[in-house]
Amino acid sequence: MRKPAIFTLPVIGVIACAVAGPALAQDKTIKIGALLPISGPGAYFGAQDKQGVELALEQLNKAGVNGYKFTIQYEDSACAPLPATQAAKRLIEQFKPDVVIGEECSDATLAIMPTMAQAKIPLLNAGSSSIKITDPGNPWTFRIMPNELMQGVDIATNAYNKLNARTAVLLNENTNAGIGNAKVFNDTFTKLGGKILAEIGFGRDINDFTAIATRVAGLGKIDVIPTYTLEGQGLKITQALAQAGVTKGGGGGSIQLGTIWLPFGFEQKAGQTSIGYIRIVQFDPTDQRDIVRNFVTAFKEKYKADPTHLHAHAYDQIMLIADVVKRGAKDAESIRDGLAATKAFSGVTGSVEFDKTNQNIKMDTIHYMETKPDLSWNALKWN
Amino acid sequence: MRGRSIAARRLGFLAAALAIAALPMVLTGNYWQTNLTICAINVLLALGLDFILGYAGQLNLGQSAFYGLGAYVSVLLVMKWGVPFWVAFAGGVMFSGCAGMILALFAVRLRGHYLAIASLGFAVITYQILLNWISLTQGPLGIYAIPPPPAIALPGLPVIDFHNPTALFYLVAGFTLLVYFLLDQIVRSPIGETLTAIREDDVSAASLGINAAAWKTFAFGIGAAVGGAAGCFYGSFVGTLVPDAFFITESFTILSMVIVGGMGTLTGPVCGAILLTLLPELLREIGDLRLVVYGAALTLVVLFMPGGLVQAARAVRAKLGDLRGSTR
Amino acid sequence: MATIVAQQAINGIVLGSLYVLVALGLTLIYGVLVQINFAHADFVTLGAFSAYFFMHALGGSYLASIGVALLVGATLGWLVNVAIFAPLQRKGSELLPLIATIGVSVMLQNAMLAWFGPVPYAFETPYSARVFRVAGTFFTLQSIIIIVVSTVTIALLYAFMKLTFLGKALRAVSQDRETAGLMGINPNRLIMLTFVLASALAGMGGAMLAPVLVLTPFAGASVIVKAFAIVIIGGFGNVEGTILAGLLVGLIESFTTQYLDPGLIDIVVFGLLLLMLALRPTGLVSEKREENV
Repeated sequence: MRKPAIFTLPVIGVIACAVAGPALAQDKTIKIGALLPISGPGAYFGAQDKQGVELALEQLNKAGVNGYKFTIQYEDSACAPLPATQAAKRLIEQFKPDVVIGEECSDATLAIMPTMAQAKIPLLNAGSSSIKITDPGNPWTFRIMPNELMQGVDIATNAYNKLNARTAVLLNENTNAGIGNAKVFNDTFTKLGGKILAEIGFGRDINDFTAIATRVAGLGKIDVIPTYTLEGQGLKITQALAQAGVTKGGGGGSIQLGTIWLPFGFEQKAGQTSIGYIRIVQFDPTDQRDIVRNFVTAFKEKYKADPTHLHAHAYDQIMLIADVVKRGAKDAESIRDGLAATKAFSGVTGSVEFDKTNQNIKMDTIHYMETKPDLSWNALKWN
Repeated sequence: MRGRSIAARRLGFLAAALAIAALPMVLTGNYWQTNLTICAINVLLALGLDFILGYAGQLNLGQSAFYGLGAYVSVLLVMKWGVPFWVAFAGGVMFSGCAGMILALFAVRLRGHYLAIASLGFAVITYQILLNWISLTQGPLGIYAIPPPPAIALPGLPVIDFHNPTALFYLVAGFTLLVYFLLDQIVRSPIGETLTAIREDDVSAASLGINAAAWKTFAFGIGAAVGGAAGCFYGSFVGTLVPDAFFITESFTILSMVIVGGMGTLTGPVCGAILLTLLPELLREIGDLRLVVYGAALTLVVLFMPGGLVQAARAVRAKLGDLRGSTR
Repeated sequence: MATIVAQQAINGIVLGSLYVLVALGLTLIYGVLVQINFAHADFVTLGAFSAYFFMHALGGSYLASIGVALLVGATLGWLVNVAIFAPLQRKGSELLPLIATIGVSVMLQNAMLAWFGPVPYAFETPYSARVFRVAGTFFTLQSIIIIVVSTVTIALLYAFMKLTFLGKALRAVSQDRETAGLMGINPNRLIMLTFVLASALAGMGGAMLAPVLVLTPFAGASVIVKAFAIVIIGGFGNVEGTILAGLLVGLIESFTTQYLDPGLIDIVVFGLLLLMLALRPTGLVSEKREENV
């Protein structure tokens, strides 16, 4: 009788743990909603964002954060206001997320913001540049990407000072982001004393840029050509400008300036025509910080390809949420407060600190790259 | 059908009204209210197009233009010049109606494919103007934070606030029912016969003393005005306005709704619009293939059942009638 | 100044010849069948994609890929005729086939979207990098190829229509189908031939357009609306008119970009279209046709 009794306690203990174990291990979850363009012209944003997100979630859910695991639901917002609004409402209705990441396109982001605010769910954005997203002061919207003002003033000033540029021609797609960015450059450059020779806007449906390049070629000596457009058209423009003999890549003297919309790998597609291109990237794959090297290695292992800034941004969004959870947040309200209080988060794209309009004001997310003749990047340490 | 008695039709309307009233209580939640309102807007668009296409026989591929004009005119009146909502609404509707009559100028001289291309060209030009006249329309920058219609305070009743999606749905659906009723009256009147005569053969119609030009203009005006009304609701419903919502592919979507539902009838566009609006939502899991299904539906209907759902329903009813008959 | 004008003229003619290839197909079909194939645009896109995959997946040469695209286009034309136009012909409806092809177009575009994805494909040929500079103007080897292939094709087509029996039969059928039938010509076979020919042109046009365009499933759609305008401005069913109008539209595009704004291209082209329809619906070069326009 005694022997069994001695063993009974541990047995009961084991049984108790076996029963209670799953209940304890039944993790608390943080629900992340993702509104990304999966169809439509911006669909390559969505596809790459998803990869970055999945990598982050895979890493985080191995051990969880503060006892929390992360679940995610994707909805297709199609880079347009109406589908984005519908997708947002459906997401909130069916999934009830604690936090939402998205969108990429400014128009779609502006459309979903009121819905998120009404539902009291924080929205974390890493892709839209329009100033209207944070400027009026939206307590439920956060942006880790530098807005068009931050980027534009910086690049125009650097063009004037570091490149000694005095003349410029602006090429931009006719969207919120394209027009907004071009305007900021225009204002800054002109104020410094530079001259804008032409500003040519074009719709997303324009395909043949030979005529535009010809027009640019006829404008005389141009120092810089800031170009604000997505990859598809960007490629054509760069090639056409080189064919017309305007840019360095085509034997001319002008330098094309670009921003974050062009992914890493652009040079390989554009070839020699992209030599001399200088652009802002929000992800520097040559960055030597451990966090970046680990990210690049993990990404290559999982996807057998190099990560672009889109992957990096999405990764950072999830990591930032995880950081907020680590600091004690557990639901929509506390995540919102945690985000607002972020002061020293370090991500693969740079650091994050939000000002009172929830805009990230750290400029180390802006890196400048110049394309060398061998098509690799030379990191210009302008920031 | 014409044969149905007035009493039966009145019952039909009552039933429809009750169904509309009951829907938001059955399908609850923000998401469904949104879908139902989109349904109602699409029904309006389809009704407008069907009036021109199915009843007057004019292939109009420019319905997206009237949709867009209604939306932009009403929203700009409200946001830029502070015009009260319902006045702006009327303004949008009238502007679209006039635009329709301008397109009719081409319709009276052209037929078939020429008219189709001309209307497409009209839609392209309208879209490009909305897109490029940035100082007026904001173009791709978009107009944001468009308010819903102002709340209505009737004496003795609680205030109807259109921030509430159910209230907005009732407004749009109620308006749609009204338009359906009015179109029904028009179609049953001698005007309907005139339009049918023009649709069948406008050369012969002229010999009957029918002024085809005038009636075509009328049809376009009405159809465009109804499309414009849909646009007016669109603005305050979505809250954001960008020209891309009115690209020419919209015309094809509306056309699909009319054809799949059954053109030349009034119930056809209603069914087609509801089906093709809700179907993609239910098929969301299939992703991009849902639009393939759309296209396939349109092609198959045209090939095998050009009268659409209405024709199918009649065939079924006839079959059932046969069965009943054969057992006697 | 003069060099800019000359350059834009070159740009316009290159683009214009591509538009002509696409529009010719439409005009041929219309001439023979009095129908419009809305899915013509997607034949262009599919031609482009087949050329792309032939080059990049199978390692074929660019010039051969143009031939592949031609075959793909021809096959699609055959399919659409068999599945849609032939059956609907018996019903005798004027507009139903157009609507059916709208459905086919939506299907094709979205099927392509599902298969190929939404990311734009960069269709590079070795010829676009080769630039020639002559008297202040520039053009690439690619544009020379475009002009040569288009001119040869159009010349061959012309010769076919005017000199061969089949070609004359085609014209006979478009003038008066009944009488042609009485004269022993099988209109249905001819219609099939026309479709195959027209769609082959579309496919080939796609292969040549692809390096110029941003290659997505919607690439053809961006060209087709202009192709419609060209067909009307030139005159439905009229080969000379289509050629003229196509080059004209290409020139309009480049000169509007130079002196106005790229965003106004569509407005100018379609404004011209509506003007033509209002004043001279039979087109720039009108044959004497008893056309119920």
